Amino acid sequence: MFFHIVLERNMQLHPRHFGRNLRENLVSKLMKDVEGTCSGRHGFVVAITGIENVGKGLIRDGTGFVTFPVKYQCVVFRPFKGEVLEAVVTMVNKMGFFAEAGPVQIFVSNHLIPDDMEFQSGDMPNYTTSDGSIQKDSEVRLKIIGTRVDATEIFCIGTIKDDFLGVINDPTTA
Amino acid sequence: MKRKRRDDEGEEEEEEEEEEDDEYDNDEEEDYCRRKRRSSVRDFLDDIAAEADSGEDEDDEDDAEDGFIDDDVTELPKENKERMPRRPFLPTEDDQDDVEEMARRIEEKYGSLSRPEQYDEGYGEETTHVEQQALLPSVRDPKLWLVKCEIGHEREAAVCLMQKSIDRTELQISSAIALDNLKNYIYIEAQKEAHVMEACKGLRYLNPKKIMIVPLKEMAGVLSVKSKPVDISKDTWIRMKIGTYKGDLAKVTDVDDMQQRVTVKLVPRIDLQELADKLAGVEFVKKAFVPPPRLINIIEVREKNIHVERKRDPFTGEYFEKIAGMMFKDGFLYKSVSMKSISYHNIQPSFDELERFLRPGENGDGNFSNSLLSGDTKTEHFSKGDKVLVVSGDLKNMRGIVEKVEDEYACIRPDIKDLPETLTFNVTDLSKFFETGDHVKVVSGTQEGATGMVTKVEGRVLVIVSDASMEEIRVFAHCVMKSSEVTSTNNGNKDYQLHDLVLLNDSSFGIIIRVDGKAYHVLKGTPERAEIEVLMYRDINSKIEKMGTTEDRFRNRISVKDIARIVEGPFKDQLNTFISIHDRKNIDHGGFFCVKAKSCTLLGGLYARGDIRGGVMDSRVSSLRSLACIPRSPGRPQIRRDERRYQSGRRGHDSIVGTMVKICKGHYKGSRGRVVDIKGQSVRIELESQMRIVTVGRSEISDKVNVTTPGCDAPLYGLGSETPMRVHDSMREPGTPLHDGMRTPMRNWAWHPYASMSPARDSFSPASQLERAASPASGWASRNCSAPGTPRESRTHANSANIMRSPPLLVGTP
Repeated sequence: MFFHIVLERNMQLHPRHFGRNLRENLVSKLMKDVEGTCSGRHGFVVAITGIENVGKGLIRDGTGFVTFPVKYQCVVFRPFKGEVLEAVVTMVNKMGFFAEAGPVQIFVSNHLIPDDMEFQSGDMPNYTTSDGSIQKDSEVRLKIIGTRVDATEIFCIGTIKDDFLGVINDPTTA
Repeated sequence: MKRKRRDDEGEEEEEEEEEEDDEYDNDEEEDYCRRKRRSSVRDFLDDIAAEADSGEDEDDEDDAEDGFIDDDVTELPKENKERMPRRPFLPTEDDQDDVEEMARRIEEKYGSLSRPEQYDEGYGEETTHVEQQALLPSVRDPKLWLVKCEIGHEREAAVCLMQKSIDRTELQISSAIALDNLKNYIYIEAQKEAHVMEACKGLRYLNPKKIMIVPLKEMAGVLSVKSKPVDISKDTWIRMKIGTYKGDLAKVTDVDDMQQRVTVKLVPRIDLQELADKLAGVEFVKKAFVPPPRLINIIEVREKNIHVERKRDPFTGEYFEKIAGMMFKDGFLYKSVSMKSISYHNIQPSFDELERFLRPGENGDGNFSNSLLSGDTKTEHFSKGDKVLVVSGDLKNMRGIVEKVEDEYACIRPDIKDLPETLTFNVTDLSKFFETGDHVKVVSGTQEGATGMVTKVEGRVLVIVSDASMEEIRVFAHCVMKSSEVTSTNNGNKDYQLHDLVLLNDSSFGIIIRVDGKAYHVLKGTPERAEIEVLMYRDINSKIEKMGTTEDRFRNRISVKDIARIVEGPFKDQLNTFISIHDRKNIDHGGFFCVKAKSCTLLGGLYARGDIRGGVMDSRVSSLRSLACIPRSPGRPQIRRDERRYQSGRRGHDSIVGTMVKICKGHYKGSRGRVVDIKGQSVRIELESQMRIVTVGRSEISDKVNVTTPGCDAPLYGLGSETPMRVHDSMREPGTPLHDGMRTPMRNWAWHPYASMSPARDSFSPASQLERAASPASGWASRNCSAPGTPRESRTHANSANIMRSPPLLVGTP
């Protein structure tokens, strides 16, 4: 699920960036540092939408670096257990398939794939049933049943065994 | 007193509870209590004599002491006479008229049960040591005689004696005791040896010549042996202690308590050849080793000309195959063994053993769970926070969370709100309970140390997707516990962790991609090939801590945690001139493979040299991947996909490939196109204007692409589901395309605004195409290439453009 939240971060800036464009430098650095990263608590930071507040900079002893506490608004994405979302299949193997919904990777084990879907190996391994097939680049709607949050990564296990879940869009037929 | 004593004897004979004796035998009690007790307990006594004497007792109540002595005197002659008919449970003529008396007294007896005050007095201190002492046999009690018996038939002998005493009333023995732990003897209780001999006459198992008396002091010791209850029952798991099958798991199919034998079902360890030889009479050398366990195939047996006889077991009615004196059914061997040769406590069947056992003919997991539930919960240990399920008792099927665990008891907080805070259960009544999506860690068994998420619960077996290796493991529920820990270290051995770069004993190096118990899977440092070696701890020399730097194809300094073009991933290691790269998408070897440093290109490199060393290295890299390679074809959509894949980093490409270039010389001068392939000095370019791929020399193209039209990029950008992957992939990189100019800081902490502003670098930067692909970057690139004098403005514009641009990016994501 996406959230638009305010986060805070202490940014360190090298003195060479001081000057007229200090703030811009700071903001750029912030963006570069933060966008695309993932924290266990908030999820993936998708984009920074705005800077709320830049606090007073504090010069660190010993080095010339200055620390600015920056409050910024950003859009984050965090998967939750029980959430239903669409994802794109990236890899299929006999244990299940991997799908990606944005930055998060979801693994659907073959135990959680309906029994009428059989695995077919080959050039394009897929799970297929009379309705459609799940292969690389097909879109599926799945439900997250468990998330594992590392420090820098979130990994999920999903299922398509419930109602209204499963393949949405078949790349072969589309 | 006498009467009390006699009553005691009666109690012993009938083997009733001793509680009632206690009351009578407490001489030290006060008169008042004694009186009360006497009257209350007398109601319990099921003997005729008491009934007859009740009148006398009532008279004596006031004069307790005297009453005692009087009883003694008066009761003495009645003793012998009254002993005989006193078998209230056995109908005799004497008892007929006492039936109503019995009925009355039973009513009184159970009526008095409801009177608590009598009870409290009487039963409060029923088993004090003093009372027990008073119960000890004295010289007037029947003695215990030790009689020699045939081994294995002690119980039988005791039962025979019992039957005999029922049939014949003149048998003067009081009881017969057969102890399980004492073989070859039974005890008979009688007043005289002659009685014993008389009783043993005619019984084959007992030897009347070998009778010994048990000394008075030792009589109590005979019966006070504490032995573990023999709880072998059908379908329990046991292990053999002796013989060829020593240590093997077996299942009990039949229990013979009389003879202390059990019939067990085993996986046979039979060498058919040896058996054939033996039966044929051929001389054979007895092999020293034990043949491996394997189910018997009747066809095979017949082939070897071993006689197979089909027999019907009289007890169970099932058909067996009898081969060389051994009974087989369904491939299993059924053997009768004595209880001494098996061990039935704490049997932990391992997964393989159970599988071997249950596979033929039985659906595995259902029976797994049943068989496990039957005997295995003793070994479960619970910890705080475990989810448990109550499996027996009134609160069966209630779920709860463990709050506290003591030795035998666990306090549970139930899921149901109405119940009190914590309930206490015996640990045998509980079993661990997991749901899909739980993150667990295996704490015992072969998979110890593995962590993962539960994907399926099948009875007592959990299917877990391991964190480290992304594969499925099956474990029993009682071996795991809930934990949020993600394993990366070996159990106990903290030196080498997952993804460590280590130096091996043979001076090669590699990365640990998997820790499997004690074995380390190491991806060795050979480029192009994925060589995995499984090593033990001692084979690993040391961990390589120092992460040096090396140069990539374009002499860019690559160090740890940089992203190389080959792969997109959070980090990579490098050593010497080899780089081990982590690919998140490729889970084959834990996501690592090794390539030559020269074959990589730093993503967002500072600059790209004009001369490209080496040829296309993606062929080498691609071979390592397990993903299907979609061949690059002239078709536009595929190119796009190609590029997209490339952008997500899964393809290995040269720095130029995929970039938009402008052809400056030659026939196609002025056209723009995308680089598809590079072969030595020539470059294949897909022209934008025509749906063609042309080959031009490397020198004829210029990487400096000033203007890109949104039209060109939109289709790339607008590809439905792919965009999020692409965008997010690029988002994931530390340097996003929006900040192309700041790409260098990815490597250095310092930020080189001026350096990045240099047009030369910028134009070669591979990121430029990324950034272009991600968003219309028309103005941006051009501004970037302007004079260094205006970097700030351009940056400012870039920043604002970023912010403005972000929403459109997000719109594309589903």
